[in-house]
Amino acid sequence: MRLLASTAIALSLLTGAAHAATDIDFFFPVAVQGKLTIELERLVTAFNAAHPDIHVTAAYTGDYSATDLKTHAAIQAGHAPAVVLMSANFIRQYAITQSAIPLDPFIAKDGQTNDQFLGEFFPAVRENAAENGHVYGVPFQNSTPILYYNTDMFKAAGLDPNKPPLTWQEWVDDAKKLTMMDGANFKQSGLTIISMYDTLGWLVSGFAMANGGDYYNHGWGGEVYYNTPSTIGAVQFLDDLVHKHHVMPAGVIDANAASNAFFSGRTAMLVNSTGALGFIRDNMKLPFKVAFLPQELRHAAPIGGASLLIPAGNTPERQQAAWEFIKYLASPEIDGGWSRFTGYFAPRMAAYDLPAMKDYIAKNPEAKVAVDQLVYATPWFATFNTVGVRKALEDQVQAVLSGKIKPAEAMAQAQKNADALLLPYVEQTALKLPQ
Amino acid sequence: MSDLALAAALPRQGAQGRKAKPLLLALALLSPSLILLAAFTYWPVIGVTLRSLTQQRFGQSASWGLDNFIRLFDDDHFATAARNTVVYACGTILPSLALALLFAVALRETGRLTAILRAVIVMPLLIPLVAAAALFVFIFLPGGGLLDYHLAKLGIAETNWLGDPDLALGAIIAITIWKNTGYYMLFFLAGLAGIPEELHEAARIDGAGAVTRFFRITLPLLGPTIGFVTVIALVNTLVQIDHVIVMTGGGPSDSTNMLLYYIYQQSQQNMDEGLASAATVVCVAVLLLLSILSLRALERGIHYES
Amino acid sequence: MKAKHIGLLLAGCAAILWVTPFAWMLIASARPQVSGTLDLASLWPAGPFSLDNYIEAWTSGDFPLWYANTILLCAGIFAVQCATVSLAGYAFARLSFPGRETIFSLFLLQLLLPPAVLVVPNLVMITQLHLFNTLAGIGAPYCASAFGVFLMRQTFRSMPRDFEDAAMVDGATRLQVIRHILLPLASPGLAAFAVVSVTSHWNEFLWPLMAVSNPQSQVLTVGLASFTSGAEAGGEWGVIAAGTALVAAPLLVAFVLFQRRFVSSLVFTGLK
Repeated sequence: MRLLASTAIALSLLTGAAHAATDIDFFFPVAVQGKLTIELERLVTAFNAAHPDIHVTAAYTGDYSATDLKTHAAIQAGHAPAVVLMSANFIRQYAITQSAIPLDPFIAKDGQTNDQFLGEFFPAVRENAAENGHVYGVPFQNSTPILYYNTDMFKAAGLDPNKPPLTWQEWVDDAKKLTMMDGANFKQSGLTIISMYDTLGWLVSGFAMANGGDYYNHGWGGEVYYNTPSTIGAVQFLDDLVHKHHVMPAGVIDANAASNAFFSGRTAMLVNSTGALGFIRDNMKLPFKVAFLPQELRHAAPIGGASLLIPAGNTPERQQAAWEFIKYLASPEIDGGWSRFTGYFAPRMAAYDLPAMKDYIAKNPEAKVAVDQLVYATPWFATFNTVGVRKALEDQVQAVLSGKIKPAEAMAQAQKNADALLLPYVEQTALKLPQ
Repeated sequence: MSDLALAAALPRQGAQGRKAKPLLLALALLSPSLILLAAFTYWPVIGVTLRSLTQQRFGQSASWGLDNFIRLFDDDHFATAARNTVVYACGTILPSLALALLFAVALRETGRLTAILRAVIVMPLLIPLVAAAALFVFIFLPGGGLLDYHLAKLGIAETNWLGDPDLALGAIIAITIWKNTGYYMLFFLAGLAGIPEELHEAARIDGAGAVTRFFRITLPLLGPTIGFVTVIALVNTLVQIDHVIVMTGGGPSDSTNMLLYYIYQQSQQNMDEGLASAATVVCVAVLLLLSILSLRALERGIHYES
Repeated sequence: MKAKHIGLLLAGCAAILWVTPFAWMLIASARPQVSGTLDLASLWPAGPFSLDNYIEAWTSGDFPLWYANTILLCAGIFAVQCATVSLAGYAFARLSFPGRETIFSLFLLQLLLPPAVLVVPNLVMITQLHLFNTLAGIGAPYCASAFGVFLMRQTFRSMPRDFEDAAMVDGATRLQVIRHILLPLASPGLAAFAVVSVTSHWNEFLWPLMAVSNPQSQVLTVGLASFTSGAEAGGEWGVIAAGTALVAAPLLVAFVLFQRRFVSSLVFTGLK
């Protein structure tokens, strides 16, 4: 790849480009290194070939958190990258701290209003892309959690594999039938929910919303609603799965352990992201299907994924070059292709009108489920100091899952901890009243 | 190095070099090290202390005050990290020192077999802690991982080693013991070699058994070595957290959060430089205090020996 | 004699436990990828062996770059350390000047303040020196090694002054004496120091993680961490084992080949 890039540079120099190419760097995280990295670099090379006046160098920067850290570090050191594929729920923090630039001027120059621009993307992803009416991020890859289930196990338990559970009650009933014990151990657990940091907060927000509630203040990053009946109820539901219905093992289960359990037939149902669909399809040798997450008071599925932003501290030339690159990546053709390759859904609605995409959906019913669930999708939880505030909840839920604390007490503690972290922001905004 | 060129270019000046003031010469020779020490050890200590006393909340301007320390001692996460660090310290230092000593005693003879066994126990020292972490993630994987897979054959239940708040710290401790024991064993081997064989001979003639000789002769004479290794182990406890970063992220539920990890988290995740600085000051103070205390004990041990 | 045999037996059992992770690393890395972990936990070295995992690790990670950076970093640090510790060690060993003990204690104190504890202020320092994101930035805090100074002081002290005195009478400057007489004589000590220095810097993680954010300047430890986090999401344990082996191999192989030298270096420097 590097050889190709340097050859391209040499060639462009030889052909006597009238002005030097604007060099920009692009930070990107991918869930699974290797194949996805290679594909992304292929897209970058194609862009560079088509745009002789811009040269993009792509850099794989680890997972979403690591990418966030590296971007911050680079901004502070005065070497801000030109484009970053940033976890969609971090955009609010970047906007609040002015670490990313508003994209309004670029959108306007292209002849659109902010609303028109955002209107090209699915409704659920619009909120995370903007703050206070300004657009900061361009959605690129998104996911929602879905239910993966092993159809053979369904049949063996007397359940119809074409009728996955639609409500929490059905979910519990099915899980009980699918659970097989071996003494005190799980020979086959009915359900596995990933409960490590980041994923857990994401999933719990979905459960809280399915339980009728709202997890956080959508319009302002200073409030979360942990200590409310809807959230407490959702956490109680998780607690019951482990300690009352005995369909799920106790403790924290990370993505590796959960996927391994699903692949090796030690669990019947798995809650995981649609972003993992490609990976699961490649590795799951046992027959499986996917379904919406079951509902309680309503259907709800939080979106996850990443959007492209331009950090602060870049020169106007770099910003312009960055915008060109962002438009390329977010175009219906490229975004659709990326979605088919990864299993994420393309947030660009026009991508689904293209023949390649229609073809793909027809041949891959699982991908269709993810898109169909978008009707119920809700924005990703984002506040001031999102990571800390989210961890305040996750620490408590993990303790509940391990049987250390009861949901009501846990949520009260989580609220208290989160409020302490939000206080600096709150004091400067909502509580800063005229003297 | 231009000094050398200059010196070589000048005609031989006889004993003129000796006339230069020793202090100036010494400072000249010491200056590279002193400058680096100042830049990367001492100025940072001063700098972080000043930063910890600078309070700046979101949207406000900076001012002097103890706000960061107040917030630090009020923070449950910090209390947990401190507590975990103490547990981690006891859980790693005592067993690895004891094991290292026992291994050293058992393997001190020269010979093919003992050389191989010593090498195996020392090997973990040579790989990075993150490499060990990568291996141990699989070892601790629930169900299909190395430990659970083989324990299942003995009929032991599947355990989520890294996912259970009660067990995760134990798993981290196990990795640290595996990594460091060999290193400490090397020091004990050298220390044992320094004990004259005559002492053991004399004791054996007097009828003392192996265990008695160990407690009456070996252990006291190893006093200085034990003290020295303890200081190293203490520093390691505070500094070795790579596996926490890549395996557990301080969790589950903060159960593997430790002082240095807390500092890393506040600095890099919460962008709270004030809190990170305050925690660093506390960490440095604890480190210095413990080390000075240990060194004092060590010195006393040396006097005892002579 | 019974106590000795019991001790040997227990040590042998411990050694088996101790070597298990390495054994798994070798076996799993040489077995072609099987989905799920059903077979991967088996330590029985059966089945078809292949280098597929190594090839995949090598190509999907950036190992050549990481190797180059790490070797450059360790060599660079050691080179600078040689200069700083020899000069400082000589000053403490051969010169008497007011404040010598106090300044020496300043050096000793550094032993208790490893760069990892001072990551937060050190990050500020290298950013101000425009060394952020460079290998020099990673290496700078390590270049003054109190450990090395201590070692060199002991080493020089233990050498008879005759050669130096004779040379200085003949008109050699102190620098010439250090370079042409003392350093060659001190080479066993320096070699021992090299082992300790390279080993510890090869294995550093937290500071390189924070000092460098661009992928061009990553070292092996940080590269491995990001590589494994990606591969773990894919459950590719064979590839993870191979990647880990690639990072661990150089020092392990060197150790197996030069065992005696390694051990005596680690002990020699520690005790001094």
